[in-house]
Amino acid sequence: MSDGGVSPAELPRRSPVYRELAFAGARFVEAHGGAVAESFAIDAAAEIRTARRLALADFSLLPHLGFKGRETVDWLRRQGVDVGDRDNLAYRQSDGALAARLAPREVLLISDVAGRSGLCKRLAAAASIDEEIEAFPVPRGDGYFWFLVSGERAAAMFAKVCGVDLRTGKFSELEIAQTSVARMNAVVVRDDLGDTPAYHILGDVASAGYLWACLLDAMEEFDGGLAGLGTVRRLAGL
Amino acid sequence: MRCPLNGPRNISEFVYGGEVVGMPDPETVSDADWADHVFLEDNRRGVVREWWLHVATAYWFIAERDTATDEIVRTYPSSDVFTERVSFPVPGGKGGGT
Repeated sequence: MSDGGVSPAELPRRSPVYRELAFAGARFVEAHGGAVAESFAIDAAAEIRTARRLALADFSLLPHLGFKGRETVDWLRRQGVDVGDRDNLAYRQSDGALAARLAPREVLLISDVAGRSGLCKRLAAAASIDEEIEAFPVPRGDGYFWFLVSGERAAAMFAKVCGVDLRTGKFSELEIAQTSVARMNAVVVRDDLGDTPAYHILGDVASAGYLWACLLDAMEEFDGGLAGLGTVRRLAGL
Repeated sequence: MRCPLNGPRNISEFVYGGEVVGMPDPETVSDADWADHVFLEDNRRGVVREWWLHVATAYWFIAERDTATDEIVRTYPSSDVFTERVSFPVPGGKGGGT
């Protein structure tokens, strides 16, 4: 299992795929109240090559939070969040977090890939005191798993499990597809790591293990592998 | 089918939700007309307005579809048709019970 003594099961928060991560030989570090998989391979350079080719990473413990309601966008703007007018587009914040506008009345906030953004925490605290405002928080941090698929071969792999064309020429950076991935509902956001194409995938936590296995299976023919958050950070230049 | 929120998607991502019809006033309508509203569909031939759901986003919208050719003529948000909030008076004030 892990070599650093951090055991996911002994910490308060657990990723829905922590058993899969441990089984795959993850090296865990303590962060965000749980154990995040920092790396898998002994050879860090090899793991970076994998991530450039095709890799799956688990972000589920990193901050993510949703908001719904008639006044969602106005309320978020008053809180200093940059949300544009177009649906199905993610808007980059100054701290690297993304505000993904899913619908006129729904926004999903995800932290930067290093997990340093304090935006979700700040907004969760702010929301609790604005009871009269029609913008209510949705606890996606607990309800949604969050994976990232990176690499030049990612779009080819997605073509097996997803009807939307995610090739980089057809699906721009920060564009969102809310669609069926391996026959389950998911939110896909393109957010490249430097010059490596990358896609966030978020969906119902109850199906996290299913989709994790589906994606690994779909990735096999493209020589895909696993990447830890340390590898993802290095690719993103963070 | 083109979802007004998400753009073109495979038809397998959508679910049919019945005809778009106006609701008679529940206070004054006759039982026969209410039963007609709740249970019966026109099932007309030609271009009809229908509710459709994009399952991946739980987004309901309206489609105009030709029932003879199965061609989807156009799709648009329900807010284009329903512009006012419908609320029902609850006897005794707050809370309707179950």
